[in-house]
Amino acid sequence: MSKDIITIHGLSLAFGGKKILDNLDTRFEKGKTVLIAGNNGAGKSSFLKCLAGVLFPDAGEIRLDASVPREKIAFISDRMSLFENFTLAQGIAFHCRVFNVKKDDFDRSLLCKLKLDMDQKIKDLSIGERAVYQFSLLMAQKPEILLLDEIIHNIDPYLRELLLEALIGLIDELNTSVIMVNHTFSEMGRLPERVLIMENGRFVFDETSDEMHAKIKKIVTEKEIADDIPVIFENRTPLYREYYVYPYSEGMGAGSGYEFLDVDLTGIVKSFIGGYYAKKRI
Amino acid sequence: MLKFNIDAASPVPVYQQVKQAITLDIMANRLKDGDQLPSIRTLARILKLNPNTVAKVYYSLEQEGYIEGRRGSGYQVKCQKGKMDNLKLSIIEHEFKAFLEKAFSLGFTKEDIEKLMRRLLTNE
Repeated sequence: MSKDIITIHGLSLAFGGKKILDNLDTRFEKGKTVLIAGNNGAGKSSFLKCLAGVLFPDAGEIRLDASVPREKIAFISDRMSLFENFTLAQGIAFHCRVFNVKKDDFDRSLLCKLKLDMDQKIKDLSIGERAVYQFSLLMAQKPEILLLDEIIHNIDPYLRELLLEALIGLIDELNTSVIMVNHTFSEMGRLPERVLIMENGRFVFDETSDEMHAKIKKIVTEKEIADDIPVIFENRTPLYREYYVYPYSEGMGAGSGYEFLDVDLTGIVKSFIGGYYAKKRI
Repeated sequence: MLKFNIDAASPVPVYQQVKQAITLDIMANRLKDGDQLPSIRTLARILKLNPNTVAKVYYSLEQEGYIEGRRGSGYQVKCQKGKMDNLKLSIIEHEFKAFLEKAFSLGFTKEDIEKLMRRLLTNE
C-alpha cells in the first residue's frame, strides 16, 4: 500500500449559486496515475484547479503530504496561461527561477523537435506548440505531482507519442503522481491505474483500471429488460437497444438469458455521460 | 526479440495481456532460459504502458517462477522443463473446456463431439 499524497475532505465550490464541486471526499496515492473523465461542465477542471491551488474552495480541505515541496507540483490548465509577451527563452528563464530549476537541467529535446525559435514571443505560438512548450517547462520541475488538463488534444500524433514517452519516463524515474483530465483515451488509455468519472461536481465512478471492466457490462437486445438490473444508460436504435449495466455483479440476471458484454474505457465513459444527458432532458 | 500484441480496447487488464504474451513466448521457447528481458522503463516506453503496470507484470512473473530479478542486472528468464509441460497442458485444457461449452450451448451432444473429434483426428 503506497501512502496518500493528497487527501480531500468535503471539498465544495460554487460559482454564482451554481454548485461546481459538491462535498468531494477522496484520496490520491503516491506514484499512481489517475484519469478524471466526465461531461463538459462536470467540474473536472475546477477540481484540478483546486488541487493546484489556483482556485480556493468554499468549504472543505485539501491536505498535501508534508514531504512535497510546493515547486514539485506542476499544473497545466486548460487555458494554458503563460506570460504572453515573454520570448520562449525568457519564459524558460522565468520558470526556472520560480521553480528552483538549474537552467542546464532544462530538457529541450521536445522543443528541438518543433524547431522553435527561442526569440519568438509566447503569444505567437500555435496551440499545439504552446502545449509542448508548457509541458517542457513542467518536466523541468521534476514534479512529484503532475496535474494535466486536456493537453494532448491539440498536439499532433508524432509529438503526442514523444510527450507520452517523456511522461512514462517521468513516472518511472520520479514515481510522479499524475492526475489527468482527458476526453480521448486512445493514446493515454493504458496509463491510468484508476479512473474517476465526475457528474454535477460529484464522483459517480471510482474504480481501478484492472477491475473496472468487471463492474460495467452491456446488454444488447431487442426488448425491454427486467427492472432489477441497474441500468445507467440506454441507447436505442431502430434495430436493437443497448443497456449499460453498473454496478454489475456475478450471477446478475441469472436465467434471463441476457448476455453481458464487455465495455472498453471509451464505452464506459460514454455511457456515464450519455446517462447524465438523458437525465438532464427530463 | 519480444513480440507483443496489446489490445487497449480489450477488457482483459493490460497487465494480464502483457503477462500472457511473455509466458506464451517462454513456453513457445522464443524466450529461452537465461534470456534478458527489457528493463521496466524500456518496455513501458515501447508499449506505452504505465511503468507500474510493467513492474506488476514482472513481479507477478517472478512470484510464479518464470523470471528472476537480479539487483542491478534486470530480469532474466528462468524456465524448468517439467513446469512448462504442466503449463502447456493446462492451457490446452482451458481452451478445450471453452470449446466444449460452446459446442454444448449450440446443442451438440457428447456423441456428436466424439464423432467430430474422431473424424478430425483420423483425417490428419
